[in-house]
Amino acid sequence: MSRAQIEKAHQAFREVMDAPTASFFSSCVHCGLCAEACLFYTETGDPRYTPIHKLKPLRRFWEQEFTLLGRLKKRLGLSRPVTDDELVEWRELVYNACSLCGRCSMVCPVGNDITGMIRKMREGMVASGNAPEGLIGATTRAVTIGSPMGVKLPALQAQARHVEKSTGLSVPFDREGAEYMMLMSSMEIINYPEYLEAVARIFEQAGKSWTISSEAFEATNSGIQIGSSDIARELVSRVVGAAEKLKVKTVISPECGHAYTAIRWEGPNLIGRAYPFKVKHILEVLDEFRASGLLQTEGMEKARMTFHDPCQLVRRGGVIEQPRKLLGMVAENFVEMEDHGTMNWCCGAGGGVSANEEAEALRLKAFQRKKSQLDALQVDTLVTACANCRIQLEEGLEKNHMAIPVVGLTEMLAEHLVEQGEEGSGE
Amino acid sequence: MGTISSDGEFKQAVGQLSPERQRAVGALFVEHVLALSGDARIEYVIQTAAKPDAGKDELARALKEAKGATMDSYTHCGEQCNWAEQGGYFVARAAEALVTPIEQSKAGGPAWQTAMYCRMARNCEAIEQGMPEGNKEESEQYRMLNEFLGSD
Repeated sequence: MSRAQIEKAHQAFREVMDAPTASFFSSCVHCGLCAEACLFYTETGDPRYTPIHKLKPLRRFWEQEFTLLGRLKKRLGLSRPVTDDELVEWRELVYNACSLCGRCSMVCPVGNDITGMIRKMREGMVASGNAPEGLIGATTRAVTIGSPMGVKLPALQAQARHVEKSTGLSVPFDREGAEYMMLMSSMEIINYPEYLEAVARIFEQAGKSWTISSEAFEATNSGIQIGSSDIARELVSRVVGAAEKLKVKTVISPECGHAYTAIRWEGPNLIGRAYPFKVKHILEVLDEFRASGLLQTEGMEKARMTFHDPCQLVRRGGVIEQPRKLLGMVAENFVEMEDHGTMNWCCGAGGGVSANEEAEALRLKAFQRKKSQLDALQVDTLVTACANCRIQLEEGLEKNHMAIPVVGLTEMLAEHLVEQGEEGSGE
Repeated sequence: MGTISSDGEFKQAVGQLSPERQRAVGALFVEHVLALSGDARIEYVIQTAAKPDAGKDELARALKEAKGATMDSYTHCGEQCNWAEQGGYFVARAAEALVTPIEQSKAGGPAWQTAMYCRMARNCEAIEQGMPEGNKEESEQYRMLNEFLGSD
């Protein structure tokens, strides 16, 4: 790495340093509680994965630049500057061994948002060219193509046509004045197109108008994951622009964790203004339908099942009761994991970990925490509401020889809808 | 039932079949898109599913093989999608649906779910080949089911 690149990292660190961050670093009492809250530490025992340790370079930079004693120590040569070699070494800790799940922030006794600071540290990593290749590729595609996985509009339209054929329903694009604008994650378009069918069927029953924007259908935000606020802002702006153009009342974030964080919680701050529409997660909308009597289901699942809370929904978004109320409509043998809701354990693949090939072995190691939870419950079915969690759970279960099907909650609800007539348009 | 020519009739007809016969006709559906997958495990799953006397253990082993094929072929989050290869993923999903115990099967039952995944596999091929108008897999499936039912 050149001197210019490390200076870019320093500049990025300077820009992200704010009063909360300074306060957090000042107040850390080195208790180590965050270690026990991090599945990358608990499942490996590697002390380098202690969340606060992952911030060591950023912390030293803060001391040297923003504290009197730190400046003095730096001037006297008692504290060495953050170097390029150090950032290279820290890449594994900041990207491979952190899913931005936020559990460490929950347990910090002095209230430090450690996850938020890791996001800030990633800003410096990106600026200095230290982000993993997989995330760089995904982010580049998100900016240039509109999807981190390279999904173009004709591909989505083809999936939509498949849904239209199999259900006889319309999947509307660019319908101005629709009540809801549906975002999709590329993972759903590519690996779980059943989600789109479920949404079409549920909204038909609810009698609600909805649309997909052909200009901005992607929900995910690689800028958030890689740690580039500029890119995150651009991706949020596209969605906002499309929603404003179509004059929708509500934008729906799909079964994806970080997409919800990005568009609902970080979006307005990124673009510097409030939205003229609401943003809700699909489970929030479905629960509103339930409460209004617009979601009519029949039959109950008899299998013993549990729900994996996507971290960004519960810890960042507070979507805790909605999935449980929805499950109550269709599951008669629902059980909770010991740690669930705000203190759930991550699947191990969030925050860009799944997009990072370097992290594959560690990601599956981290899954052991979820395996332990499931071993204790002995369930027949695992339900979740994030496509990324879902594929990680499926893979982890398969690698561990556990025959537990994983299903999306929206799809499960759609399977129980009271039928409204014959399906399929035929030929 | 007369000749099947719509999804409504198709779904009703396969839903009325016994689990063994659902697997038998579903095996035909998967075989029809097998060329989209390069995974030898799928052939084993098809063969097992097509056996009228396949036992519980045999089917469980086939399901494990199918799940392995699925997990080896999905597109990772953030990875550039190769739609030609993605067809193989849906073939594996179809094989998985084929040998999933009927009590765990999604709505419509194993044969219907298998048929849907096979169509998705063909859809990937259409996307890859730049044919956004889709494919005719469903009419092929109607034909296969009609022949299957007609051979009784």
